[in-house]
Amino acid sequence: MQRLKRLLICFVVFVLVMQMRPSVSADTPYVTYTINGYGQIRQTQCAYLAHATLTKFGSEAMSEPSDICIAENGDIYVADSKNSRIMIGSADGELIGTIGEGELKTPRGVFVTDNYDVYVADRDAEKIFVFDKNGSKKCEYGKPDSPLYGDEVSFLPIKIAVNDAGIMFVVCESNTNGIVELSPNEGGTFLGYFGTNYAATSLTSIIYRAILTDAQRAKMVSNIPATPTNLTIDDKGLVYTVTRGSKNDTLKRLNIAGTNMISNHDDTYAATPAAVAAGNHDNVYVADQQGYIFEYNNEGEMLFVFGGPDDGTQRVGLSRLVSGVAVDDSDRIYVLDSDKAQIQIYAPTEFTDLLHNALYLYSKGRYTEAKEPLTQLLKMNSMYDYANKAMGSCYFQEENYAQALKYARLAKDHKGYSDAFWEIRNSWLKKNIMTVIMALVILWIAVTILKRADSKRHILDTPRKAIKKFKRKSFVSDICYAAYYMKKPSDAAYGIAAEGRASWLASTFLLLVFMAEFIILKYTRGFLTKSVMDGRYEILSDIGMIAGIAVAVTLCTYLVCTINEGEGTIKKIYTFFCYSLMPYILLTPITYILSHVLTTNEDFLVVMLGILIWGWVAVIMVIGLKEVNNFTAAETLKVILLTVFAALILALLIFIIYVLWAQVFEFVYAIISEGVYRLGS
Amino acid sequence: MEANKQKRLPLIIGAAAALIIIVSVVLVAVAGSSKPMQLSTDKSHSKEIPSLGERISAADDFLLVAQNDDYELYYYEPRFSLKVVNKNNGAVMESTVSDEKDDGKNNKSWTGYIKSGIVINAIIGTLNTYQVDLNTVPSKIETYAIDNGIYAKISFLGDYMFDIGVEVRLEGNELVVRIPDGSVKENKEGTYISTISVLPFMGYTYLDDEKGYMLVPDGNGALIELDNKEGRYSTGFSGLVYGADEGMTSSSAVPVIWESYETVTEPSTVLAPVFGMAHTDDELAYLGIVESGDERCSIEVVPNGIMVDYNRCFAKFLLRDVFVQPLNQSNSGTVTTVEKDRLHSDLTVRYIFLEGDDADYTGMAGAYRDYLLENGAVKQRDTSYHTRVDFLGTEREEFLMGTKAVAMTTADDISDILDELSQSGVQNVISVYKGWQKGGLYNLPVTDYTADGNIGGIAGLDRLITEQAEKGNSIYVYDDALSVNAKTHSTTYNVMKMVNKRTFKQEHNRQVYDLFYYLMPGRSSTNISGLVDKAGKRGIDTIAFSGVSEKLFSYSYKGSFYSRTDTMDIYDSALEYADERCTVILETPNAYLWDRGDAFTDMPLDSSDYLYIDREIPFFSIVLKGIVPTYSGYVNFEANKTENFLKMVESGVYPSFYVTAQDSSKLIYTNSSDLYSLEYTSYKDTITDYDAKLRALAQQTEGAFITDHEVLENGLCRVSYSNGTKVYVNYGEVPLTAEDMTVEALSYAVEEGV
Repeated sequence: MQRLKRLLICFVVFVLVMQMRPSVSADTPYVTYTINGYGQIRQTQCAYLAHATLTKFGSEAMSEPSDICIAENGDIYVADSKNSRIMIGSADGELIGTIGEGELKTPRGVFVTDNYDVYVADRDAEKIFVFDKNGSKKCEYGKPDSPLYGDEVSFLPIKIAVNDAGIMFVVCESNTNGIVELSPNEGGTFLGYFGTNYAATSLTSIIYRAILTDAQRAKMVSNIPATPTNLTIDDKGLVYTVTRGSKNDTLKRLNIAGTNMISNHDDTYAATPAAVAAGNHDNVYVADQQGYIFEYNNEGEMLFVFGGPDDGTQRVGLSRLVSGVAVDDSDRIYVLDSDKAQIQIYAPTEFTDLLHNALYLYSKGRYTEAKEPLTQLLKMNSMYDYANKAMGSCYFQEENYAQALKYARLAKDHKGYSDAFWEIRNSWLKKNIMTVIMALVILWIAVTILKRADSKRHILDTPRKAIKKFKRKSFVSDICYAAYYMKKPSDAAYGIAAEGRASWLASTFLLLVFMAEFIILKYTRGFLTKSVMDGRYEILSDIGMIAGIAVAVTLCTYLVCTINEGEGTIKKIYTFFCYSLMPYILLTPITYILSHVLTTNEDFLVVMLGILIWGWVAVIMVIGLKEVNNFTAAETLKVILLTVFAALILALLIFIIYVLWAQVFEFVYAIISEGVYRLGS
Repeated sequence: MEANKQKRLPLIIGAAAALIIIVSVVLVAVAGSSKPMQLSTDKSHSKEIPSLGERISAADDFLLVAQNDDYELYYYEPRFSLKVVNKNNGAVMESTVSDEKDDGKNNKSWTGYIKSGIVINAIIGTLNTYQVDLNTVPSKIETYAIDNGIYAKISFLGDYMFDIGVEVRLEGNELVVRIPDGSVKENKEGTYISTISVLPFMGYTYLDDEKGYMLVPDGNGALIELDNKEGRYSTGFSGLVYGADEGMTSSSAVPVIWESYETVTEPSTVLAPVFGMAHTDDELAYLGIVESGDERCSIEVVPNGIMVDYNRCFAKFLLRDVFVQPLNQSNSGTVTTVEKDRLHSDLTVRYIFLEGDDADYTGMAGAYRDYLLENGAVKQRDTSYHTRVDFLGTEREEFLMGTKAVAMTTADDISDILDELSQSGVQNVISVYKGWQKGGLYNLPVTDYTADGNIGGIAGLDRLITEQAEKGNSIYVYDDALSVNAKTHSTTYNVMKMVNKRTFKQEHNRQVYDLFYYLMPGRSSTNISGLVDKAGKRGIDTIAFSGVSEKLFSYSYKGSFYSRTDTMDIYDSALEYADERCTVILETPNAYLWDRGDAFTDMPLDSSDYLYIDREIPFFSIVLKGIVPTYSGYVNFEANKTENFLKMVESGVYPSFYVTAQDSSKLIYTNSSDLYSLEYTSYKDTITDYDAKLRALAQQTEGAFITDHEVLENGLCRVSYSNGTKVYVNYGEVPLTAEDMTVEALSYAVEEGV
């Protein structure tokens, strides 16, 4: 007996050694990426290591397994489709048991509830089976007889999730209406379709539909909404779905009403999602068929993506065809590969553990404590913007707004920055409001006194004279004339046309000032309205663009005006064009200041100012065009349209020349390399 | 009318004359350039065929052809089959599958393969898929006796008409198999030899018939057990020695996510041309060393279940490759082309047989160490302990119309950091200073010894190096002698062109500089000697080289082709020049440069995670420990630091850190934006900690070799040194005890030698 026992132990050890292949390598064959505040994909520390590979449970191998679920106690349930059974195993590779042999046909989905009821979606049996803890069948549900389900719609369940109330959410193959929601009452009452995806309708397809014949329309790709590929349910009863081809809506988190609560705008979605699993920290994992594993936070922001397809080199941690994913209590990810018929277990690294810890503490409102793991995270990777953002939020919650502002700025987190800035500005205003008012009052008094003194004793005559004299200089007077043009474009344009007020020098000076302001504003405006990245400068192309537009517009307008018997010369047209930029030149400093003192809430002021500036510029430009050429309103409109047309033609011309030139170049190059090759052989 | 004609006549004559001139110029040009382009390789080892004795016949059965006190060599002619018998224990290794061991499951082609001592892959036209073996292709073998062995003249007839000669000698416990370059003949136009596999089944086993393992030269070394693989794997290990030839094959498509981000990392390259087979129950093993032709050779280690059920490992020489020649820029038109000339080198594989206790991987490593030392392929260097703390000087980010410097660590910063480390006990540091040169880290190539103004200029750098040398810290200037930055340097000349005459490009998805080229080897060599001389004039003789130490490629220049052999020779002599004048550090050097560096950095600690690998072993660490100091990759970017530390303890590799004085977030707009964790303040404590522990360990193993490396039954890893010191490493989560030594979980213990 003793001996038998020892043998048995030996055997168990042997089996363990055979099945478990923990890889001790710290170098993974895949790269881990994250996304930074600008939405750029950036490499980071390895988030999960390939920990072990399970090819068998005991001596039982899987065959085309298609779903995996981990029970509360850590047991692994696998839908072993081709072997028509559910396998239960441990993470060590021991076989605990099998369920449904002889009963199941092709189990494609499996779900285990907290009290160990096993729900199986069997596609070929067209049924859902429920087994109890001991593996005996409790009940089964077939196709719902409700008329709402649709008589012609087949019932081919492939994935299943069950909430605490026993309500089943079933993904059915070739059922485009959505997830089938079944109640356990009365043998499976059909509750309706849940989380239906919407068919995307683009403008072009609307136009097509309007103009095509019925026959043509029938040939178009049908506009049926995509069915979710897979689903899962978390502790709170929220249902997660993944849908292939839905781009940023690939992952959805649906509340009980079926409303999506996650939004992703970063294009960090899985192209061919296979499965989804809810994590332990309000996070969620999506596994792509090709082997990529994504981890998102509760807002749908991507934390990591890692893994990848096996390119034939057979390295541990790469997959061929992923069909399922599950997560255990210690954040280990189990990825089921149906082609390799194996489960790859990934274990989180120190880095990921810190992040999860921070997520956990933050979600519990323990902000001060959450800063500790975040500090360590940033020590390990100071460019991990997500940690910066979380750090900023922690400081914000602690009402340390200066630090919150700093971290939000680092993380490029606009919302966090705006909120922190609002608080800081608010407290500044509170503190300084009296000083500001006092200063204004003193200023007002000073001005009044000065004015009085001036009207009595003319003390300001000398500076006034100097200013007048300065203004009389021709260059200065031209600049002043531009300001006058801004106020009275009609009169001033007449001056340009008839009184010789056109000036190359002043115009070019104004254009340069415009350029300078444009560039300064673009690169140094307040963080919240800034559209370029810090440290990115493309000044040469900015200058080129402005100069190019100025030259092109002047030239086109001149050419068009000449044909249309306009009276403007190049000089006059250039002058009025440059003078028309005056509103921008004068008002941009205000935009600049506003961009630095406003938060997202008051952002509309900057936008309105922008509209005002550009509207003004456009209006005086049109009036200038009319007056300088002495056109009627109708003629002006015609010339404007023609100018736009000419500009388009010019652009087209340049494009054609470019394309042709590239072709010629390619042709010559091909002849030369062919020649070289022939001679060479 | 007539007048018109007369007027035109001179015109016509002129035109005709012009045409003639043009045509003749073109003809001359064509004639000039169509001179035969030859491979300039004509490096001769001992390419001649040995003097032959009498003709022997072994047509019926194995014939004893050589023997000594320990081994007997038998030969069976029709299959070119060799059998090595150990006289002491009777263990046998055979080079072709015998009829008894044939499981009869294989098709004709595979049966031909497994029973042939030489297998050739032939190219006909541009297809390189024709298998030529001694069983399925008509062939003729004449065998002659030579000293301690035989020489076989093998002719493959039929469609192929190849001649090769194979010399086999038994030298003590070593079996040397050599195909002299001069004996290889391709007698039929358009039919060429692509690869030659030498003894592809030497020491083979069937499924799990025999216990043992095969040595894979992947990463730091790995083993494939000789157990039954149950057909789990679709391929075995196949690695071109010294990495892929980037001049020949344009890099294959790697998996990318969102169309631009590469998701799979490159497997590590085969650093040295070795492989091995150990039959542990029979107590017979061999280490295979590719002695010549290694630069165009792949190591194949194939477990059972892949096409056939035999475990085997061998060397496969690549004589002639096929490459793609694009005909236009868009690469829409291409032709597949066969290399003009084949590899010209003897193809030699040396099998060192090991018996008894030596018939394991530590025995193999010891044999390889002895081999390297005897042949001068490594030299005894100073192996005393140093912690390596590298610094990043300056980088560049885009600014206005150009770039501006991002100064991360100045010379003075380094002084301060090293002084501070010294106060906390970290002394005798070695440091590689990256980005010291004018224009920052990626201002490549480095052609002069001129430091960037932002780190303190040349005076500051000189002062730093000399002052720190007095304090015992060595600072090495870093030189990537291979890469050329397309944006900072003119690239018309001197950049490497692939054999298809296209410029080799390395594109990175980076912020500032995204395009790099490789320098022509000749130019690299000039730059290396230039830097050595110019630095030498200022009294600086510590340089770290990368790029040239890791890469090996074929290239074309002005219509001529140059092979990996040429590149290898140029790099070798350039680094020899440097090694004679300086203290040289090489980054991940290939085996042919192992005699050129005083220390090796970034040596792999792991393997490439292939599914079929059963165990990772510190093979190359065992070989080099006690001869050349080796340093790990940077600890900064390791995800699992404890395990990484234990690996260093196990393999005797010294630790490396990469630090900056400034915060690494300053690098966000530079090419180094992936260096996410560098600031010295974050690493000070770790450096001190690692230094204290590993220095103490290194003192106990000072100057000693690793004589044994074993994973004990309970999972504890034991490393024994030649001075008697034993190091126990526990990677497990529970304390383990062996030989009265208890080692805590995730820890190590040392038992000092007597």
